[in-house]
Amino acid sequence: MLGKLLKYDLKYMLKNMSIFYILAIFFAIATRVFFSLEQTVIINIIGQITCGCMFSMVASIIFNTIIRSWIRFKDSIYKDESYLTHTLPVTKVEIYGSRFLQSLIFMIVGFIVGVVSLFIAYYTKDRWILIKDTINSISVGLNLNTSFIVTSIILLCFLEVFNILQSGFLGLIIGNKRNNGKTAYSFLFGFIGYVLSQTFVILFLFFVGLFNSNVMSIFTSTALMDNNTINLLTVLSILIYILIIIEMAIRCSKELKKGVNVE
Amino acid sequence: MELLEIKNLNKSYGNKEVLKDINLKISNGKIVGLLGKNGVGKTTLIKLINDLLTPTSGEIFVEGKTIGVESKKVIAYLPERTYLNKQMKVSEVINYFEDFYDNFNSEKAKKLLKDLNLDINENLSKMSKGMQEKVQLVLVMSRNADLYILDEPLGGVDPATRDYILDTILNNFNENASVIISTHLIADIEKILDEVIFIDKGKIILHSDSDELRTKENGSIDEIFRRKFKC
Repeated sequence: MLGKLLKYDLKYMLKNMSIFYILAIFFAIATRVFFSLEQTVIINIIGQITCGCMFSMVASIIFNTIIRSWIRFKDSIYKDESYLTHTLPVTKVEIYGSRFLQSLIFMIVGFIVGVVSLFIAYYTKDRWILIKDTINSISVGLNLNTSFIVTSIILLCFLEVFNILQSGFLGLIIGNKRNNGKTAYSFLFGFIGYVLSQTFVILFLFFVGLFNSNVMSIFTSTALMDNNTINLLTVLSILIYILIIIEMAIRCSKELKKGVNVE
Repeated sequence: MELLEIKNLNKSYGNKEVLKDINLKISNGKIVGLLGKNGVGKTTLIKLINDLLTPTSGEIFVEGKTIGVESKKVIAYLPERTYLNKQMKVSEVINYFEDFYDNFNSEKAKKLLKDLNLDINENLSKMSKGMQEKVQLVLVMSRNADLYILDEPLGGVDPATRDYILDTILNNFNENASVIISTHLIADIEKILDEVIFIDKGKIILHSDSDELRTKENGSIDEIFRRKFKC
């Protein structure tokens, strides 16, 4: 049944998100076209406009993925549509699991569309070499592997945004347990959930720092860290983010399993 | 084994008690009217049976099992509000029900929709609220369920449509199934009721066989209701 729920959740999101994907790609192509034409004042202005539109569409994709995932979650679990959702022969864990996977998939798709748009708009051999050289010089300076740097940055950005999204789900579940002021409490608990998750990351690093003086140095000094410490911190941060997201997902499932009180 | 059994059910919102010590048994093959004034707890009781609310205390059993996946397979529920995703077409909603409910008969649904002159290719967002409610009724009555729970199915519709809805209900459930109909439009449905439940201020104040009640109180269900709930 999880697969069936997910199928309809993905369809819903695709219906709402596809326009942003199409527009981002369209403005990326337009940007490339206008910047490849012989430059005049007007061509340059149009190029700048399409470039701005593309960036705003890419930002919209991330923003809308989060907001629409929250709206879908609220509408289908606590509003009118919940009368159908909760009377389907599926478990509460499956309902949450479907929303979790749907948001995860669309976050990944959003990131991919964003990267592809940038690639379409700006890729040239020279720029690619420039980016590679910049990353290489950073990796040589820090004595770190290039692919490790790129993967870590992308993964940490993704996990940070996904953590915000999951905090929103947790806020909605706890906020909707209240008899009054459900929306306000949803915001409040979502915000608290996010702040707590960030605090937990810092506390975890501090705890590791008690056993590792290099890690502790981020709390005690402003000195540059060596490559081993950066490596360790990055891996630990990714690990703790994943653990927090898993913990949040388990907490959401458990809270939802206790039952709902729909309006 | 009873089709539906409720034991010592209570529901409160904070200090406000909405349902108080509800005990109820409904067996197979009955059409039961859940009757009461507005805001006395009819919908709350129905929502509890359908897992839309969490009881403060007490238990609900459907065919001997607590509320969950198994009970939802055998309950067909028509809520008082429109619950379908407005972005979907009627045909997509039919596929949706077919995907989730093993006992859903899509051919029957298409036939009933055709009888009602509803286009299955139409988008729900383009339909009036009344049309959407008809689609929902068709979807619910196209399930071969053991228990149909209809919350205010006659509310807000004209008398001609009310007759059609009642006919649809009567002609589309099997004889072993039971139907619970919540309404305050008693005159319209009393002819089809086997049992009546009067609910007031969160308590069941009467649960009786319809004919026995009419004989005992010497009047129609509607008259008895008006006497009992006189303001």
